[in-house]
Amino acid sequence: MTDTVRLIIDGVVHQVPKGANLVDAAKMVGNDIPVFCYHPKLAPVGMCRMCLVELGQAGIDKDTGAFQLDDKGQPAIRWQPRLATACTTVVTDGMAIKTTTPQVTEARDDIVEFLLTSHPLDCPVCDKGGECPLQNLTMRHGPGESRFLYEEKQHLAKHYPLGDLIYLDRERCIQCARCTRFQEELVGDAVLAFHERGRRLQIVTTSNPPFDTYFSGNTTDICPVGALTTADFRFGARPWELTGVPSICPHCPVGCNVSASTRLDRESGGKIVVKRIMPRQNESVNEIWICDKGRFGHHHSRHGERLTQPLIRQGGKLVPATWDQALALIAEKISAADGDVGAIAGGMVSNEDLWELRQVVENAHGGKDHKSLGVYPYRLSGAEWVAKVGLSKGSNFGQMGKGTTIVVIASDLSEEAPIWYLRVKNAADRGAHLITLNARPTELDRFAKSKLKISYGGEIAALKSLTEKPEVKDAANVVIFVGGEGLDRAGHATLMQGAASVLTSTGHAGKVNNGLIGVWAGANTQGAFDLGYSSEATESLLNKRPAVLILADADIVAEDAANVSLLAHREGKFTVVSEMFLTATAAQADVVLPRQSFVERDGTVTSGERRVQRFYTAQTPLDGPRPDWKVFAEINRLRTGSKPKLSAAAVMKEITEKIAAYKGLTYAELGKVNKQFPDVGGDDPYYGGTAYENKGGLGVQWPTEADQGKVPSVSMPAVGKARKLESGELLIVPIVELFDRKPAFAASAPLLHSHVPAPYVVLNSGDAKTLNLVDGDKAILSSGGVEGEYTVRVDAAVPAQTALVARNLNLKSPTPAVPMVGSIRKVEVVASHV
Amino acid sequence: MLAEKYQERIEKIFAKYPDKRSAIMPLLYVAQEAYGWISPEAINEVAALCQIDPTQVKSIAGFYTMFRETPKGKYWLQVCNDLPCALRGADQFYQELLDYLGIKDGETTADGVFTVEHVMCLAACDKAPMLQCNFHFHENLTMETMKALIEQWRAEAKAAQGK
Repeated sequence: MTDTVRLIIDGVVHQVPKGANLVDAAKMVGNDIPVFCYHPKLAPVGMCRMCLVELGQAGIDKDTGAFQLDDKGQPAIRWQPRLATACTTVVTDGMAIKTTTPQVTEARDDIVEFLLTSHPLDCPVCDKGGECPLQNLTMRHGPGESRFLYEEKQHLAKHYPLGDLIYLDRERCIQCARCTRFQEELVGDAVLAFHERGRRLQIVTTSNPPFDTYFSGNTTDICPVGALTTADFRFGARPWELTGVPSICPHCPVGCNVSASTRLDRESGGKIVVKRIMPRQNESVNEIWICDKGRFGHHHSRHGERLTQPLIRQGGKLVPATWDQALALIAEKISAADGDVGAIAGGMVSNEDLWELRQVVENAHGGKDHKSLGVYPYRLSGAEWVAKVGLSKGSNFGQMGKGTTIVVIASDLSEEAPIWYLRVKNAADRGAHLITLNARPTELDRFAKSKLKISYGGEIAALKSLTEKPEVKDAANVVIFVGGEGLDRAGHATLMQGAASVLTSTGHAGKVNNGLIGVWAGANTQGAFDLGYSSEATESLLNKRPAVLILADADIVAEDAANVSLLAHREGKFTVVSEMFLTATAAQADVVLPRQSFVERDGTVTSGERRVQRFYTAQTPLDGPRPDWKVFAEINRLRTGSKPKLSAAAVMKEITEKIAAYKGLTYAELGKVNKQFPDVGGDDPYYGGTAYENKGGLGVQWPTEADQGKVPSVSMPAVGKARKLESGELLIVPIVELFDRKPAFAASAPLLHSHVPAPYVVLNSGDAKTLNLVDGDKAILSSGGVEGEYTVRVDAAVPAQTALVARNLNLKSPTPAVPMVGSIRKVEVVASHV
Repeated sequence: MLAEKYQERIEKIFAKYPDKRSAIMPLLYVAQEAYGWISPEAINEVAALCQIDPTQVKSIAGFYTMFRETPKGKYWLQVCNDLPCALRGADQFYQELLDYLGIKDGETTADGVFTVEHVMCLAACDKAPMLQCNFHFHENLTMETMKALIEQWRAEAKAAQGK
């Protein structure tokens, strides 16, 4: 047992992991040492002094390794004269602590008393009240009566906005620095800091913009008092009224485990509604963090503009209809289409929905081979390489550090998948060798050991050079993220193959903490690929649209303007759209079906790391909308007389029987939870109570071919011809912005509206000069016959002859789906005298 | 702008350290000299020079008492009245000084020439009463020598204003 050491706690000998600090070690064997400033995800600083213990060292016989005994037969311990902070002490063999002596108890009582000298004790109106470490520890250690004079209490700002999402109550703050350390250590964006010292110590920000990072909400979770609260949940509910329902964030492929705090809400007509979204601990996925998009982006489920009735096009207009009418019409149209039926599914369609939709299309084709199941967006591809050499089962970014090389190509993870950004950044901090290959600067570059600037189109050549790099060739582990910036579908498929080739040729496939990750666009894009959907099918469906086209959560018009005409020609064509809102795509449909949001139903989604995860029904569903799987199963029943499944679980069971990769992944299996470390979700009085505990399942990663010992040999694709741009031409490259105007998100978080930028285009300074454009100018961008107005940003770091345009910001005149050549012209402002 | 006005000095400061962020404090002194206090603009300029977040600069400026975070008088008098100095009459001296200038502890005179405040030990106990004026020590003071200094500084301030 070289990995553990002996720790004597209150006279009892325990085996604890070597290298752990005393707080963690004691916690592992069931002794809760109280803390305020310490947090297992942050480096210990020992500044609150709450974790004081008596510390000693037992004498050890050098020959036998046994404890030297005193005359009572107990280990002889030399005690230090003073108390020590447990969080900053690393256990050594034979270390002894006392945690219950009067000296220790008194010290802890004193610390709490000092903290309370200027604490407002406004628990009855505090959002944290009920799940507050200070409140809990005051109940245990606090004095019954205050010895301090009320007149000498400090009165400070109660509602100080650190940004527009997070409020600081200066009176409640106990100066533990968890928030400042979270920002500095974990996020790498030190926008919070202490100011002054002693009793005048305060949290400040003088950054511009102030506290405005994608991870700001997490500080409110780890704040051990009610000093930091979110603008979203302030005075929203009391923690003891809330029930935590396990769910999965629907916004990106990371698949963060979240907990939807729900309650029976009077303001919502006595329905059960989601009051807030909190992270749910899954150490392999999101640890205990979520980004602000996931935290605040849940309001769409209760938005007034939700569709609640099916709509049927009559006389050129969409008019309300019953479900029976709508489904009968769809069944009739499918039967009449004689197999000319296709479906495209978007990013947040659950595995169950996808499966039942697949049955609709397959039945229509009479079981014949077809390529009529598409995913949307369809600019990303190459999922077969993930199935072969994807990130190995059991991999965990939390364990990556020295010896691991992480490559991020053609992707800005901070915008596309923030929690992956956070975990990659922290792996780099622990010593992982991070290589970024992008055509423009990205957030992760700050932490990269090598930043390889590539040109759009130069991705394969850059990958090829990687195989020769010792940091890749000789690394113990290699993980490659492949994004799609600057690429079309074929380009991305080739790049995925190239990355697979790097992994296999350097012997980094089929081992834990190695493999390939596609930075997909949606929360369940991976699931769609697994269930037989493909980008290639989408491309052919859009090129030659079938007589009946079913679009589930696929807002193809908003993402690509060229698709309007595809839906608008109705002669002999029939479009079914399943959506939550009347999107630009739904407006063109022949039948619109209202679908349920992720909090109104249960199901499973598969993350970008191939982890199949369950989400549960959290909120009373709206009257009207139905889950997609039920709707598609009903269409099948109408057409074939097949018996619909009664639950999503039954659909998943069928998937586990038909799809090899999903074998055994029943709801029961996906719902299993193992004990996780650090133990922050338990019933201790200082980490617990903040909805962290995972009770909904950790999910299961399905194994790749390489995991099963079948490592393929993959050839490096040939370097393609570089794109030639004529002088004066611009390559328009769509990029991803985290906060966008997609209906599900825009309706979701009015709080974040001010964080969604106006549609913008970024130009190289040279190009801007040639085009006579300066920062802030309005310009018309035209490409593929579509024009849109954008605000110009000039950035010297953008490649020449390139215009970066963020997706989904300009829904009226969408950006191109894939890079294409276009042009830009200035909007001349006519002086007016209004 | 500090970067242009004190370019040479700033370069010399940076040359002393392996990291840019190590130069925060010397640069804050440069800023304080230039602006008379650590203004919000000064914080942003130092942050840009050190390539760190302005909040971190603000935090440093706030921790150390020798950085002025509010505009102060041209002459910033810090009088030590800790125990050893008090034993040598610093308390009485300090009160007389305040009375002479007609202000209270921590205040600035109406003409903006003097700010007076009491501080903790300045490490010159044996030469009390003493004070620090814009970081220069004046020791073994009496009200007579003090008055002379004040009139001298006042005249200098007036002369500088007249220019």
